Amino acid sequence: MSAIRLRGLSKSFGSLQAVQNLDLDLREGELVAFLGPSGCGKTTTLRMIAGFEVPDSGEILLGGREVSNLPPERRDTGMVFQNYALFPHLTVYENVAFGLRMRKVPRSEITRRVTEILDKVQLTGMEQRYPRQLSGGQQQRTALARALVTNPTVLLLDEPLANLDAKLREEMRFYIRHLQQEFGITTVYVTHDQAEALVLADRVAVMRGGVLQQIDVPEEIYRRPSNAWVAGFVGIANLLPGVVEAHDATTISVRTGVGMIRGQSGQRLPEGTDIVASVRPESLHLARDPVDDPHEVSVNRLQGTVAERAYLGNLADYRVRIDDTTVLRVQAAPFPAFEVGDEVSLTFAVEETWLVRPDSGGA
Amino acid sequence: MDTVSGTIGRAQRPRAAAPAGLLVLPAVLLLVGFFVLPYLYLLYMSFMTHTTGAAYVRDFTLENYTETLRDPFNWRIIWQTLRFGFVTTGITLVLAYPLAYHMARARSRVKGILMILVLAPLLVGIVIRSYGWMILLADNGLVNQLAEALGIGPFSLMYNRTGVMIGLVHIYMPFMVLSLLGAIHSIDPDIELAARSLGANGWQTFWRVTWPMSLPGVASGTVLVFVLTVSAYVIPSLLGGHRVITVPLLVVQTVQQIFHWPLGSALAIVFFVITIAIVAVYLKLMDWVMRGGR
Repeated sequence: MSAIRLRGLSKSFGSLQAVQNLDLDLREGELVAFLGPSGCGKTTTLRMIAGFEVPDSGEILLGGREVSNLPPERRDTGMVFQNYALFPHLTVYENVAFGLRMRKVPRSEITRRVTEILDKVQLTGMEQRYPRQLSGGQQQRTALARALVTNPTVLLLDEPLANLDAKLREEMRFYIRHLQQEFGITTVYVTHDQAEALVLADRVAVMRGGVLQQIDVPEEIYRRPSNAWVAGFVGIANLLPGVVEAHDATTISVRTGVGMIRGQSGQRLPEGTDIVASVRPESLHLARDPVDDPHEVSVNRLQGTVAERAYLGNLADYRVRIDDTTVLRVQAAPFPAFEVGDEVSLTFAVEETWLVRPDSGGA
Repeated sequence: MDTVSGTIGRAQRPRAAAPAGLLVLPAVLLLVGFFVLPYLYLLYMSFMTHTTGAAYVRDFTLENYTETLRDPFNWRIIWQTLRFGFVTTGITLVLAYPLAYHMARARSRVKGILMILVLAPLLVGIVIRSYGWMILLADNGLVNQLAEALGIGPFSLMYNRTGVMIGLVHIYMPFMVLSLLGAIHSIDPDIELAARSLGANGWQTFWRVTWPMSLPGVASGTVLVFVLTVSAYVIPSLLGGHRVITVPLLVVQTVQQIFHWPLGSALAIVFFVITIAIVAVYLKLMDWVMRGGR
């Protein structure tokens, strides 16, 4: 049984189709990140699950229970808002105890459970503080404690780290993941930050214009994007448009503007199909001269000129011009360094060359 | 107003630098010239001796106060005036809150229309408005004609407390709405949704989250309406038809009809002190409630 099941979920605001016919299943204890640019429908979907928005059509099942027609207070969800939405007139203790009081839990048990969860999120001693007296990170953890203390069926997180500074944000990723696994709670995590989604999620659901583009484990999303848009949105991708020319058992040959290259695909791509070859910057290798065996068939080769070089500390970011219209991003170890103007040869493995259908537009 | 915002505002403002401090000078001069000095003069006059042919003679006496405080009629009028204040404040609060809430949560275009409707009473002069009410509320006015047509009237709606109350509520409603609107508008809707997702139904969310968070607006709105009501003159005079007497009417009568300036001043000062005391105690109480009863 799915912990969260969405069936044919749709919602529009006026003429804007926010979510279109969304089907999704979350397994018990799974963390799925909804990833997409703003306006892609990820937050609307989350708010429909929470009961803050009423879907135009479709079903929402939480723990097997159809909840589409229930008000938020009867859905048994735990929600963490981007701005935390703590009750400013209540102390940390009262904030966390709120959900238990609403559930008419006996006073002594409230004390026990609140104390326990505050200990777990390292806020012991902060009970009598008001939210405005807490740091951003402490407010964050108060919001998490408040959402988790009632043992809800699902945990809903709406950009929970967006308001923290960069360093704390990175720490909190692991912290939230750790907490979520400790509670074993099915979680929907909305974010526009792809690194966050890749680090945290069991599976990533990439959305665009209200339509689910792909849902898969982070590695598959990154290495085998379902289309050119996903390839470009998650991480950096060099996109080389071309036409399928030939097949063999494992590889597909493609005629592109920079010559024949070979790659792989998850789809059946008949000869003559317009496609885009997607290559990640770290899959491209630079050398002054072609050092490897030119007859090695599992590698694509190109020649180019270094047009730009940016030093990023742990790596160097190159822009290599192949021809008048094609410039490729290459990320490599900073040494040995190539200078602007250097003639270089680029190699990239066939299995790192992922062929997808071109972006057909569609907001 | 200074006492109101000063007590309610939670954050202390940083002290302004000297040149910027000069910017408050016009306001201070205005306040001193038209409020503080007249009141000081009133206070001075209240200790002077009554005479005929002049406002007073310079002869210190406490008699105006003993006379004011001893007269049970004065106390009845003071109580009646305060009761107008309490009831009007209560009614405007109950009527204004739902309106202010919906305005705060409405889309901006709807909000603009509602705002114009709320402010409309302030766009018409108070005397004209009162005459408007008289046309509506008179014994053979529109309301009673309608009531009679429906076979449920007539009601006595004018030249009595009911008429005064209707006029006061109408006129001071915008002050309550605007005070509440600011406070409710500053409550993030997500905070209410957070309460809902934690298991609170609509009413519980209101009583435990929205209402306590809007208390600063409730405090300023109620104080504003209360102070305006107890000091109202035109409405009680026109809609009460001098059959309903309030302290401001009594003060004016004492001065203008029996020409007893010192006695009128003493009554004004006594009532001023009572009003200030009530407001001070009320704000202390509200402050205590807002700090969660601590």
